[in-house]
Amino acid sequence: MSAETLDALSLSLRVAVLATLANAVVGVPLAWALARRRFRGRALVDLLVTLPLVLPPTVTGYYLIVLLGRRGWLGAPLYAATGWTLAFTWYAAVVAATVMALPLLVRTARAAIESVEVDLEKAARTLGRSEWRVALEVTLPLARNGILAGLVLAFARALGEFGATLMLAGNIPGRTQTVPLAIYTAVQTGETSDAVVLVAVLTLLSCAVLVAAGRLGARAA
Amino acid sequence: MTAPAIGLDVALTTRLPGFTLDVAWSAGDGVAVLFGPSGAGKTLTLQCLAGLIRPDAGRIVLGDRVFFDSARGIDLPPQQRRIGYVFQGYALFPHLTVAANVGFGLRDAPRAERQARVARVLARLGLTGLERRYPRELSGGERQRVALGRALAIEPTLLLLDEPLSALDAPRRHALRDELRALLSEITTAAVVVTHDFTEAYRLADRIVVYDAGRVVQSAPRAELLWQPASESVARIMGVRNILSGTVIKATPDRIQLRWRGQILEAVNSPTRSYLPPPESPLAFFVRPEYVRLIRKDRGPADPAHHMNLMRGTVVADEDFGTTWTLRIRLDEPGPAAQADYDLEVEVPHLVYEILEIDRDRRWEFSIHRGSIHVLPA
Repeated sequence: MSAETLDALSLSLRVAVLATLANAVVGVPLAWALARRRFRGRALVDLLVTLPLVLPPTVTGYYLIVLLGRRGWLGAPLYAATGWTLAFTWYAAVVAATVMALPLLVRTARAAIESVEVDLEKAARTLGRSEWRVALEVTLPLARNGILAGLVLAFARALGEFGATLMLAGNIPGRTQTVPLAIYTAVQTGETSDAVVLVAVLTLLSCAVLVAAGRLGARAA
Repeated sequence: MTAPAIGLDVALTTRLPGFTLDVAWSAGDGVAVLFGPSGAGKTLTLQCLAGLIRPDAGRIVLGDRVFFDSARGIDLPPQQRRIGYVFQGYALFPHLTVAANVGFGLRDAPRAERQARVARVLARLGLTGLERRYPRELSGGERQRVALGRALAIEPTLLLLDEPLSALDAPRRHALRDELRALLSEITTAAVVVTHDFTEAYRLADRIVVYDAGRVVQSAPRAELLWQPASESVARIMGVRNILSGTVIKATPDRIQLRWRGQILEAVNSPTRSYLPPPESPLAFFVRPEYVRLIRKDRGPADPAHHMNLMRGTVVADEDFGTTWTLRIRLDEPGPAAQADYDLEVEVPHLVYEILEIDRDRRWEFSIHRGSIHVLPA
């Protein structure tokens, strides 16, 4: 295996793990709020979170550039203040993977949370638990398998992310070139032996993920 | 257990899509049963009492504690009401053991005290030894007691039970109904129980509050409700049989004379209700099937002076209910029958049915004591 192939593998794993963690931190509370709270702008939040699932990834990537690029709505003030921009760093790959994976986690976790019997939460309230503790001690433990299945799917999605990553992070070997980008580049330049290794690795990982998610899903049901 | 809170006063209005709850009732300490058909607003009331649903307007007061008062802007959250709630289907936490379920409301107590209290509640309910089981490993009756224990462990000021027996099969249901009755009278906490089964309501209640379509149609001590339903519709909700309609001949404070199917019947009026309908007005009344007397033929002819409201008719159908027979009787009167193809339902024990050989002898005289004809105010 070439050094570049190894770089791509280690970068992809790092990106996928961090994107999955970010999904857990952002997506689980979001799924809970969408499932259990009625708040203003709920429909809009739901729409924005789900959108990357149906938009072409390059379009999502384009919006991320508009938002976070050097001249983006958030990116420009950040650049003005610090002289640093997210675009074309490996952090950008994490952000792109997070956004692309979020709908998978939120939808799976939300369904799991919604299937927790409301009476159980009500019972916990009459027994003195605050809303916060009801979620932590009753709702989330009972939705655990669904949430884990969502995280597994999010991990797989993050690992395979291509279009949005290419737009926001670019395809810089050794810096932002993840496995899917490396495969694309290798095929384009005719270095098929490198591509075959990476294709095999991604295929195996994806199979493992599907089996894991299936088992968790079966236990959640 | 805490000292009994005296008096529960409930007045609630809440509008939901396609349903309006508008009720007011009071109960002393003891057991109040909310009784009525499904969808009458009973569970909604419990959830308002517990603070799980916020009504549009009203007042909920228990003793000197105001849980809710829309006029004064008071709405205690469920966490602060200390109300024990036994949910329909029990709502036990499936991921926690019996001990953790029962101790769930005692989080703030020191560990040792919590364990002691859980042990005490489990012993009280005959659940000792099941501490480490999970709800799915329990029988229906055990689950009910764990749910009750979980609610009682917080030493509630008020106990709410939503259809506590409906998740059980029939044989267990009857045994547990009596067990529950004993337990509720033992604990000093006031309780509100929801049921749509009248026998259950009667067994458990001190006071019964009858719900229908989001309103209270009667609230009375259970014996009063049994013998004096406030109206024909209350009697129908209770499942009373032989609800009939006649015409008033004469009404005095203690007697009502009425005409029905060509008979002149005499009924007891209730002085407490002083119901005095004018002559010739229609009058609903009911006769409990088990209070109709068949006249034995081997003891000489019936004596009208002795047998009140004497009638004659034919058994047109009978049904075996295991311990009793229900006879459908048609009077010897021309004209349409009072109920479908018969006039009266009469219930007799098996022994009587066999001794009198009712299966082959279908012609009978029977009488109804005036105290067993109950008039229903319009």
